[in-house]
Amino acid sequence: MTTLEMPPVRHAEPGLPPPATGPAAIELHDLTRTFGRRGKQITAVGGLSLTVGSGQVFGLLGPNGSGKTTTINMISGLIPPTSGTVTILGMPVEARRTRRAVRQLVGTVPQETALYNELTARANMAFHADLYRVPRQQKAERIAALLQLVSLADRAESRVGTFSGGMRRRLAIARALLHDPEVIILDEPTLGVDVHARAAIWGYIRDLRDRGKTILLTTNQLEEAQELCDEVAIIDHGQLAASGTPATLRRSYGATIVSLHVQPIAAPRTLDYALEELRQLGGVTNVSIEPAADASHRLAVTTQEHAEIADIIAVTDHWCVIADVAVRDTSLDEVFLRLTGRGLRD
Amino acid sequence: MLRVIWGCAVKDIRSALTERSTLVQSVTLPVNYLIMMSLFVLAGSHAPTAVVMYDHGPYARQFVTAMRQAHSFRLEVTTAAAARQQLRAGTLVAVVTIPAGFDRAVARHRPMAVPVEINNLNQDLTDDAHRAMRLVVTQFYAHADPGLVSIVASEGDAYAHDTGYIPFLAMSIIVIALMVSGLLQAGNAASRDWENATIKELLLAPARPWQILAGRMLGALLVALPAAVVVLGVVVFVVGDHPARLALTGGASVLTLAVFVAAGTALGTALKDRSALAILTRALPVPLFFLSGVFGPIGFQTGVVQGIAATLPIHYAIVLEQLGFKEFVTGTLAPAADALILAGYLLTFICLSGIALRLSRPAAARA
Repeated sequence: MTTLEMPPVRHAEPGLPPPATGPAAIELHDLTRTFGRRGKQITAVGGLSLTVGSGQVFGLLGPNGSGKTTTINMISGLIPPTSGTVTILGMPVEARRTRRAVRQLVGTVPQETALYNELTARANMAFHADLYRVPRQQKAERIAALLQLVSLADRAESRVGTFSGGMRRRLAIARALLHDPEVIILDEPTLGVDVHARAAIWGYIRDLRDRGKTILLTTNQLEEAQELCDEVAIIDHGQLAASGTPATLRRSYGATIVSLHVQPIAAPRTLDYALEELRQLGGVTNVSIEPAADASHRLAVTTQEHAEIADIIAVTDHWCVIADVAVRDTSLDEVFLRLTGRGLRD
Repeated sequence: MLRVIWGCAVKDIRSALTERSTLVQSVTLPVNYLIMMSLFVLAGSHAPTAVVMYDHGPYARQFVTAMRQAHSFRLEVTTAAAARQQLRAGTLVAVVTIPAGFDRAVARHRPMAVPVEINNLNQDLTDDAHRAMRLVVTQFYAHADPGLVSIVASEGDAYAHDTGYIPFLAMSIIVIALMVSGLLQAGNAASRDWENATIKELLLAPARPWQILAGRMLGALLVALPAAVVVLGVVVFVVGDHPARLALTGGASVLTLAVFVAAGTALGTALKDRSALAILTRALPVPLFFLSGVFGPIGFQTGVVQGIAATLPIHYAIVLEQLGFKEFVTGTLAPAADALILAGYLLTFICLSGIALRLSRPAAARA
């Protein structure tokens, strides 16, 4: 995996405030955004409050239309919130006096990449360097280093319109890093890319975290959130459903799932007794049952601790014949399903 | 500050150079207007007319000469049968018959009717034929018997030379070229960013909106300028018009182009759609062309047309081009006032572009 070895940008402009130090890189307070005219308003995000710590990879999870992109559009300053505030490194995003300074500290990769298809990769980078006033003496060096980083150095003079989805995504990430931002916002960074490109992008994100950058990403892939994020917030219908580390979230809704394939000893009453006793066991948060072939059933018992597995097996064994047992960790997908009643890709 | 503006301009120039069809249209559309109007003018000034001569005497021949000198007919001397057939076939506007005994009647000062049969399907050509025949009769008597025509017009010209219809029209064609290329280039650059969602790259940057707009307008101006120069070349080298005041012509052309580049930026930002913009840039020039003093000084037009022309920047641009190229005064205001009004339009369109960009931020999120 290529690692990030780039000279930091030394901004020539004396008026630009230095990045604030402190634990919070991004703070959202009671953030609301509505669209449409009075009487026909749609609330895309309603009263969202979040804190993203410095140096974290923070994931915003939610199904399509849940308000993830609207939230990051407000964070990046693309649209103003209807109410509430966003601060980045202590500076309000929408305040006139800090607006430009905040934008200099943020690198954004929109979902559709916003690259100029008709221009070459290098021309796209050069334009970004001019917009963000990357010092002239560093411009060529940084463009070359970042194109090298995303393995596009040999395609620097090719038009972006000829690139695959993965190449475009990699170039968009390189462009967002060109001005050495403190906060990087990635909207669905691996959407529509192949497995190799996804692995490469995950590598860049891990390397950026190692360099102390704060990364906010939106995704509807639980695997991505589990692999990359230090903290996640699950939003649904524009509101916060839950937040915390992936492990904490899994624990709060049951860390372990014990799956049992059973045959009741004296159907069907014994199965009811088994369910009743399982639900009363300490640490068990959920018991579900599904009929299987030959009058057998599959039980899924969600529990907080591994220590309770033996009790679960003992209770079940008392009332049923156990054909097989499987134990696995709860996935964020299951947490999300329990929180919102629907899958992430709905 | 200048780096952001120049960066935006360079980016737009690079993008525009990849759209060759737009570059070609910037030249071909105005040249097409010139060709179209020239054909119209040529067709209107040479109505196909047949002369049937039953008398070939000197007066009859002089009458035909007077018809030729009227500059209204494309004359063909033919037989009565052939003329009737052509009139029925719709290939003639009029048939003029010089009756037998024409010379004797003229010599004896006796009344003589010259039959004129007109295909009056077209009111304009019918009126042309009526007017031209009256002129022919006067011209004929002025030469044949000068003593009979005692009143002659003593003409004093405002300008040293008469101006042909096409050379006068050519100034308006230059303005149309500036308008079309300015609107197309700037409008396309603005719309392209919305269609391709690249507007986010601009709106998320730590640049001021006016810097982005200034860069966009500078880029469009630099791309549109060569197209305008090509049309200018057609006017100079094909039509044969040469600018009398080069600095005024150049200044007026750049100011006019800047006005329409700013208008194109405002339109493109508001429409966010190149196909809608293409329709507008094709539909707008024709009515504006006819309402802006294109065929003659605006003071010659009716009050309504003058009122409409006064609200259109294209009118002031035509006035300045006529003054710069030929030193013609075709407007009702002082040239400085025309230039100031154009500058006012420029400022207005720049402000409208800024407002359109500001109002479009929510749309950028949906792009």
